[in-house]
Amino acid sequence: MSSPAILRQSEDRMPATTAIDEAGPAPAAAPAAAPSFGTLALRWYRLNRAGLRAIAIGIISLLAFLLVWHLLTTYRVVFFVRFTNVPSPLAVYASFTKAIHDPKFLMHIVLSCRRIFIGFSLAAIVGVPLGLIMGRFKLVHEIVFPVAEVLRPIPAIAWVPMAIMLWPTNEQSIVYITFLGSFFPILVNTLHGMSLVDPVLVRAAQCLGARERSIFREVYFPASLPHIFTGLTVGMGVAWVSLIAAEMISGQYGIGYFTWEAYSLVQYADIALGMIAIGVLGLGSSMLIRGAGQLVMPWRLK
Amino acid sequence: MSEILTKAPQGHIEVKNFSLGYDSIEGPVEAVTDTQIHVNPGEFVSIVGPSGCGKSTLLNAVAGFLKPTTGIVTVDGERVNGPSAERGMVFQQYSLFPWKTVRENVEFGLKMRGMARSQRERAARTLLGLAGLDAFEKHYPEKLSGGMKQRVGIVRALATGPKVLLLDEPFGALDAQTRVIMQQILTNMWQRLKISVLFVTHDIDEAIFLSDRVYCMTARPGSIKAEIPIPLERPRQQSMMMSSEFLALRRGLMSLIREESIKAMGGEITDLGMQGLNIELHGHSLADVI
Repeated sequence: MSSPAILRQSEDRMPATTAIDEAGPAPAAAPAAAPSFGTLALRWYRLNRAGLRAIAIGIISLLAFLLVWHLLTTYRVVFFVRFTNVPSPLAVYASFTKAIHDPKFLMHIVLSCRRIFIGFSLAAIVGVPLGLIMGRFKLVHEIVFPVAEVLRPIPAIAWVPMAIMLWPTNEQSIVYITFLGSFFPILVNTLHGMSLVDPVLVRAAQCLGARERSIFREVYFPASLPHIFTGLTVGMGVAWVSLIAAEMISGQYGIGYFTWEAYSLVQYADIALGMIAIGVLGLGSSMLIRGAGQLVMPWRLK
Repeated sequence: MSEILTKAPQGHIEVKNFSLGYDSIEGPVEAVTDTQIHVNPGEFVSIVGPSGCGKSTLLNAVAGFLKPTTGIVTVDGERVNGPSAERGMVFQQYSLFPWKTVRENVEFGLKMRGMARSQRERAARTLLGLAGLDAFEKHYPEKLSGGMKQRVGIVRALATGPKVLLLDEPFGALDAQTRVIMQQILTNMWQRLKISVLFVTHDIDEAIFLSDRVYCMTARPGSIKAEIPIPLERPRQQSMMMSSEFLALRRGLMSLIREESIKAMGGEITDLGMQGLNIELHGHSLADVI
């Protein structure tokens, strides 16, 4: 590549094309000798400075949080809020190392995950197509929407007594609560996505010969996907909220039950462990959805 | 592909006794009234007019998106009854599918026709290659410039081999420099394809430069005010826009349109308003004088 011609050219354009250089990147970006590792590292650092800064501050902030927690609990601070019985981070860590070898703790987690998986999947399987159909067919919208609007403001937790009456087993009623929690955010966001589909894209598809079914599959659905995934993310969050509440009230297993049981059994370290486990599981599941979204919508990658 | 490029000229558009209105709270409103236009096979025809005159309405009726209140629209003697791939359309907002790559966008019409994947991939690649867009086939539209998007939009509309091409202010969203280049590309393309084109624009230069014939519409309710043949020689080059012939045509159309534009703005504009600001500053700043 570094032929004499290119070298000469780059010398030639020195005086004449300063203006062009200012206007944009040099036309012959002659790849000079491969930059050394040092310069590359420096460049990478410059480009990613903001990100690195955020990571560094994030780590410091988390460490500070742990330190404050540690100090508050070791000195058993009482200042309106009582830290007398709150477990210290070290105690929680100790109970964590014990718990990961305990099959019962793992079973709590597996069961909660299974309930989320079933309840959330059902909500997505029902909510997304229903939203798509309601968005496309006015009559379905007019029939379903009022009912949905009446039921939507009822928190999933308020359904607990009703769910216990409705479903034969405890397991089913908990899954039902989880389903309800995630169903409405998914439905509402899908519907919102459908209402925002650019009508010009529909017309473009029509004059390329697309019929109703193809337009649905090729235009309405992909156009709504970003909002569908917003709904799935929100729905997943609400699913966890509903699940934990349901488990605390009526469960026999599950991480919510584990946390509540720890309180009853005066195992304070396990309360914090349960809370952290719930947080980590919630974070993990929303990251899964985000990852799935990026897989399904490659055109939205920056 | 050669089948598309050498197809015998067809695509005779006929719009007869056309009017289109809609209902409003104040009663029925006429958007377009008593309009006849036609496009001969292989002819490039533009419609110009003040904004809101109904030129896009007319085009959308030819595309099949709107039904005329009275009159009929036919293409090659067949009545237009809803949109179809026989009438390719290019929109001002590009309207490429953001979730499809450039090639998938171009393939779309062929896919709708049921063409096998490998076959339509090959066809789309060939077409993109002929348009000099092959380097971008895997890009998503968001990454393209406006001019590039519209070139893809035109290629996509042509991919199914439509009888006519309808363009609704296709270059309206582009900057002036890009617009001029796109006009040249479009006229070069037309020169080879000889497809019937109905082109809607408010840009008089653009209409004259591209067209064989220009319809000038009146202010709302829109109807045809004049039909002006453009006898400039082909192939058209940008340099022709300085010729006295071009300028004479431009002057004629300009005065026709100006009259209608002022009419279209209606009560909005008074003689006083036309002066911009009726004030003498005598060396003071505006803030001092008021």
